[in-house]
Amino acid sequence: MSYRVYLSGNEAIAYGLITGGVRFLTGYPGTPSSEILPTAQKLKLRYGFKGFIDWAINEKVALEMAFSSSLCGIKSAVTMKQVGLNVAMDPFVNSAYIGPSAGFVIVVADDPGPYSSQTEQDSRVAAYFAKVPVLDPSSVEEAYLFAKKALEISEEFKIPILLRTTTALSHGKSDFVIPEITIKDEFQPAFKENLKNWDKEVLRLAATPKQRFLLHKALNEKLKTISEKNKIRYFYEGDILILTSGMVFSYLMEIVEEHKLQKKITLGKVDMPYPLKKEDFSKFKKVITIEETAPFIELLLDTEGRRNGIVPSEGELSLEVCEHILAKIGLIPERKSISIPPLKRPSLCPGCGHRIGLFAVKKVFGKKTIYTGDIGCYTLALNFGVTDTVFCMGAGVSFAGAMSKIFRLSDKKRFVVGIVGDSTFLHSGIPPLVDAYHYRFPFLLIILDNKTVAMTGNQKTPAHTKSYEGEPLNSVKIETIVEGIGIDFVKVVDPYDYRKTVKILKEAKKYLSESAKPAVVILRHPCVYTKEGLEKNPKKPVSIIEEKCTGCKYCISEFECPALQWDEEKEKVFIDKTLCINCGCCIFVCPKKAISEV
Amino acid sequence: MKLVILGRGGQGVLFFSKVLAQTAIEEGKSVKTTEIKGMAKKGGVVEVQMKIGEGYSPRIKRGSADLVILLSPDLKAYAKTFGEKHFFFSKKEMEKALKEVPLRYVNIYLLGIFLAKTHIFDIDKAIKVLDEENKKALLKGYNDVQSR
Repeated sequence: MSYRVYLSGNEAIAYGLITGGVRFLTGYPGTPSSEILPTAQKLKLRYGFKGFIDWAINEKVALEMAFSSSLCGIKSAVTMKQVGLNVAMDPFVNSAYIGPSAGFVIVVADDPGPYSSQTEQDSRVAAYFAKVPVLDPSSVEEAYLFAKKALEISEEFKIPILLRTTTALSHGKSDFVIPEITIKDEFQPAFKENLKNWDKEVLRLAATPKQRFLLHKALNEKLKTISEKNKIRYFYEGDILILTSGMVFSYLMEIVEEHKLQKKITLGKVDMPYPLKKEDFSKFKKVITIEETAPFIELLLDTEGRRNGIVPSEGELSLEVCEHILAKIGLIPERKSISIPPLKRPSLCPGCGHRIGLFAVKKVFGKKTIYTGDIGCYTLALNFGVTDTVFCMGAGVSFAGAMSKIFRLSDKKRFVVGIVGDSTFLHSGIPPLVDAYHYRFPFLLIILDNKTVAMTGNQKTPAHTKSYEGEPLNSVKIETIVEGIGIDFVKVVDPYDYRKTVKILKEAKKYLSESAKPAVVILRHPCVYTKEGLEKNPKKPVSIIEEKCTGCKYCISEFECPALQWDEEKEKVFIDKTLCINCGCCIFVCPKKAISEV
Repeated sequence: MKLVILGRGGQGVLFFSKVLAQTAIEEGKSVKTTEIKGMAKKGGVVEVQMKIGEGYSPRIKRGSADLVILLSPDLKAYAKTFGEKHFFFSKKEMEKALKEVPLRYVNIYLLGIFLAKTHIFDIDKAIKVLDEENKKALLKGYNDVQSR
């Protein structure tokens, strides 16, 4: 029995992992990888098997947890976005040497473009660096099949497998047929059971440098065997060979068929870009690799591509770009390029607590203060001037610490305010705050606590008291952590209470001027994008008093609520009621008091 | 067939598209789609590309769409980058939708109008993939066109 499903690439990966036997799945949310884990949770609720499927505090912890689970003989997997793999690099590289005891898959979503990431890095290169085989599916169906295949190879060779996806695949949806799902509820962990041979096992699990050399040798042998079996698949029969992997293969198939290039091009599809052996290409008059985003297969097999300028060195290889590449080598005519009109930039949601909170911060600290932001929705505060730097997870805290020290060492007086969200703070903001306290770095840290990982689709945080299965969880309180470090200026306030927020921020400013220590203000307001947050949000309908509105646009530029819009004819601001959620926050914004409660 | 569905965040573009895709699947056709959402949720552009019964990838080339459906009339210039043929709802239809059904069913009411006007999809198949409340909204939109 089989049936038809209509799934996204991410959902397909979850189906492949769970039906492939994964019973321990964790990760950290990050676009475009975030939907894999919640899909697996849904499957667990539907089929009711034993196992653990939930988020970890960061990618490093996630990878370590999943790997240790595999050491207990439980098939395991971990999901993250490509920059998350940087965070997990230490255990990732090590996992190849030690090798899992049961199937172990690292799912990494790359973001060519980039659409929502700091870099366009290529995780296939990270896999090469770590000596981990990597699978690169080209369709949603393959995402499902390769997730299963990854587990099989991992089990057979006791080696981690990286399953790489990209934004186009992760968020693309397709229908395909899968066999009926039958879940075997087997959960038999084993560790340290055979005490007789345990000393030998410890040589692997707690290897010394001398052992590591042997483990490295064993790893190389595994890779050699895998590469022997790893063959390029050929399509069509032209004398120009185009090698490719991932979603680009599907684009090239479409272009070949649309332009009838079947006799001109041979497509070489690489399912597993590493470990990959050279093949005999002598019958082709030209060999080019078109791949996202690094010249990876190109370097391994020494072909043309990026290095001789045929393939662009940055950006997503969309259908349009692939066509352009084929036009460049004279296979098809060049198409007229279509200019794309600029779209409205994204802004924080109407009613978002971050907006009014950061507006208050700007009011108290002014425009000269250095605002070191971080990764999350609140990055958008750069639209209204309350973010000067965005770097990587947790860097809002480290930047603020070091910069405040630098200015304190000089005779220039500068306030520094770090801005970090609750989830980002827990992910990697705690260690720099420990340093800041220890070294007496004088800055204010704003922790925007909306009790969710909002940016990536409202995943749960350690503040939650119940799991997706309704099991009780211990709720982690951020203020307890901050106080535990030793910081003595710690205040919590709901930014919707604007006056109280301003008062506390003024106290914090005074504290910074008088002491040489960091201060922390937690601005806590639930995310209005969650159902619960929106339902419980205070309702204070407002309107514009037209006679008072002078058309200065202060509210539009300094507060940037999408519901505050400009009426070209009247030259006044109006409220778009389809967007407004009646939060009433803008009352505090208008310098002319033209916004008032109805 | 290559379709592009465009709208603003909060308009229910994704659900609108999901119902179209499921309807096509009910009709026995293969469907490939891709969703492109802006970083912020409200007010940003939401774009769905949909291939029905063709192709290998879920993406659509600029200039190649057979039809662009607009849920937000201010995106016409952007819609043009995908293709010349557009389907949009009149101001009157939008206003009527807001009066006829609760805000969260407006998208499905509009889908009813689309189905009635274009006949690309089978209304009976669309009904099959919806729950009761959505079905009502869809039929209201559909019948409003029929009775005009």
